Amino acid sequence: MEIDRRAFIASLGGTTAVSLMSSEAKADALEHWMEDQLDAQAAAAQGTQEKFPTVAELEAQIETRNYRRGTGNVFVNTRGNVKKLEPMPKNPTLQDFFRLRFAPANHVLQSATRALKTGMSEEIILACMLHDCAQALMKADHGWWGAQLFEPYIPEKSAFAIRYHQTLRFYADPDAGYEYPDLYYRIFGQDYTPPPHIEATYKMLRNHKWYIEPRMVTVNDLYAFDPNAKVSIEPFTDIIGRHFKQPKEGLGNDNSPSAHMWRTLANPDAPL
Amino acid sequence: MTARQGTTVNYKGLEVTPIGIARAQNVALLDCPPGSNTQRGNARAGEEFAVVSLSFKVTPAFKETIVKKPVLTDAAGQVYNTSVAIIDPGSQPEYQCSFPFRVPAGTRIASVQIDTATIDVSALDQK
Repeated sequence: MEIDRRAFIASLGGTTAVSLMSSEAKADALEHWMEDQLDAQAAAAQGTQEKFPTVAELEAQIETRNYRRGTGNVFVNTRGNVKKLEPMPKNPTLQDFFRLRFAPANHVLQSATRALKTGMSEEIILACMLHDCAQALMKADHGWWGAQLFEPYIPEKSAFAIRYHQTLRFYADPDAGYEYPDLYYRIFGQDYTPPPHIEATYKMLRNHKWYIEPRMVTVNDLYAFDPNAKVSIEPFTDIIGRHFKQPKEGLGNDNSPSAHMWRTLANPDAPL
Repeated sequence: MTARQGTTVNYKGLEVTPIGIARAQNVALLDCPPGSNTQRGNARAGEEFAVVSLSFKVTPAFKETIVKKPVLTDAAGQVYNTSVAIIDPGSQPEYQCSFPFRVPAGTRIASVQIDTATIDVSALDQK
């Protein structure tokens, strides 16, 4: 397969982001990128819908892996051994975590860029920028984990949007511009139905005055999987400054209700 | 302002021409001008996407601004939204975009509006 080097580097957030990645992370990213390209080419060539797995087929794969799918990205390398992480600065900021633990963070930055360019509120832009960051810590229930991680530092509306985008992504809303994506057929199974607590949360959200906040996170989420998009955290510096209450002691050192989560991200190699 | 079938409408210096309408159950989700987003959207049973293709030409009169998403009106006057946004419309001199609108299967399409501009696409609808 021919590799478009520029497109691949851009997909990782540019040369600076790539220079911060370990060789293992680069190899991993390349493999993911090639898989995505192949999937896209195959689908385009067929001109038809791909065949998606069923819930039962996905469940049958569980015992073929030595990790669980819900595991946070910093804890597992699905293709080999993990590498030593670069230590965090003494008083780490949100930007430090983006650089050293969430990188390349291309998807969330694409999502926030779209929110910015379509004139959405700063609370929504911030939520888009943070909405999947907790997947470094935990993929399962990442909306709830993410809201809890950021809650002490961000506006209530942004935390609400992060928590509940996890629910709304399962429900199409053409009025708001959200379509049910192939991605969920692929990773949850074509016959997947959300569990009762998600259904109940959805019913609550439909009547909530802040429904549009998480809904807009899902809308931008959908359009943030462009392997050629060039994005950076720079355009969001002012929004972070206005809305993210950066503790002077550094994230993880501030005794907030989620300080332990930041410390875990900072040092995922702690044995206990 | 209203463009008749196949004719061009000028919206704030953006010349918009209707190209065609296709029907699909599964569509690429690409903003306008299109990038290379890999996600695709799915219609539910009893629904389909009416995919309206428009070409855009940026004239010197155009000033970079946020352009509203198109909305579609069917023959009965019902209005539908699209998930595709028009982002950085002045970034390329000319481009084509496809806007999927999820509609009940068999819906006849009348027109597409971009803010104050109305584009008659009824004759393009082969349904």
